Amino acid sequence: MTAQFAYPPDREELSAKKVSALESLLIEKGVITPQTVDKVLAYFETEMTPLNGKKIVVKAWTDPEFAEKVVTDTPAAIAELDFPEGMAGAEGEHLQAVANKPGVHNLVICTLCSCFPWPVLGLPPYWYKDPTFRARAAREPRKVLAEVGLELPDDTEIKVWDSSGHSRWFVIPERPAGTDDFTEEQLMDLVTTESMIGVALAGPVK
Amino acid sequence: MKLQHYLGGLEGLPELTSLEKRVFVEEWEKRIFGIHVAMMGLSNHLGSALPAYPIDQVPTAFKDEWTWADLRTGAEAMNPFDYFKYRYYEKWLGGITQFFIDKGYITEDELATRMAEPAAPPQDSGEPAIDDQVIAYLRYGDSPRRDVAHPKFEVGSTVRIANKPAGSHSRLPGYLRGRTGTVERVFEGDYAYFVHTGDGIGDPMPIYIVEFDPEEIWGPCAEGGPETLYAELFEAYLEPIEEK
Repeated sequence: MTAQFAYPPDREELSAKKVSALESLLIEKGVITPQTVDKVLAYFETEMTPLNGKKIVVKAWTDPEFAEKVVTDTPAAIAELDFPEGMAGAEGEHLQAVANKPGVHNLVICTLCSCFPWPVLGLPPYWYKDPTFRARAAREPRKVLAEVGLELPDDTEIKVWDSSGHSRWFVIPERPAGTDDFTEEQLMDLVTTESMIGVALAGPVK
Repeated sequence: MKLQHYLGGLEGLPELTSLEKRVFVEEWEKRIFGIHVAMMGLSNHLGSALPAYPIDQVPTAFKDEWTWADLRTGAEAMNPFDYFKYRYYEKWLGGITQFFIDKGYITEDELATRMAEPAAPPQDSGEPAIDDQVIAYLRYGDSPRRDVAHPKFEVGSTVRIANKPAGSHSRLPGYLRGRTGTVERVFEGDYAYFVHTGDGIGDPMPIYIVEFDPEEIWGPCAEGGPETLYAELFEAYLEPIEEK
């Protein structure tokens, strides 16, 4: 082992102490308040969660007109639904949906950082920010998807979207077969964050 | 070249065996995320953002600009081997702490002392208007759109991706440099970027989706099969193909 990877044994404890000291000093100096960080976290725990994305997807599954609009004018389509104020807020200023269809599968990545549609999906899970995923999904998406459990037919086209501009992208997965008599709640249960980025399909139908 | 700009397509990386679906893997990571969002929501540039936040009237001691560009510039400036050594929020913690030290909000000594001896919970509840501004930023955002589009290229144009020196920050994925693609979409507006990166973006300009054939990018290392790669690129990163 070289010094390069000589992590201190108390690596996490040191970071925890450091961030705690930093937050405490910033409060003391009037940069933020004792509530600021908790309020930010609560915003993402209660209002901007993947539940918003699930509602959008299920609406697209059950309303063909909405399904068309959500890909051609994503912000306007989302504005029609009943959501907390802020769907066009931070990291949602320019939302863009792409829809899977028979023979076409979409995958969203961000090779330069971790651009993510916060109001639709909440905060990005670690896998999305993982340098190995980001690096490999650009060149060998089919292999990467298979490794994480999504084997696509050889003739399914994969469209990879690298988010390096202003848009924040998400995927409308296909509605699984055998769900015609499902309620909206049952349909929402089929939709995951992973399916709305394109590393999984909606489902499975139990 | 900066390795961080060339992440896309890097070879020799291991198989992905599972997906870590948690957003935060350690409790402390939540705190640095919250601090970063607060800084973005209190950044002094928001007075001229859309909407124009009354940032001058917010009773915070924070008087600097802090945007994604600052966080990203810091990550791109890292020793690339350190970049891959540290976990996501470890990089944020390092960059943000150093920012507050460099700008004189806190000192190294204060930080070390506070780390050794945590303070009692604050008695004063602070100025609620600070939190209101941070949440207002989250609800209303900071759109980079400044005008309708004034595009040089149209849908169907063949373009070559620029290959200029990267500078301290870039929004051009390295693997696209010098490659040829086709404009698939012209977005509706002209879009600014938080800073002038030194490689051409900053002032409002059109953004395009450019479509690439993976074989054009990766050559014989392309995966094969029906695949298309789309990148969303600022106009400064596109060059016309000269007619022969």
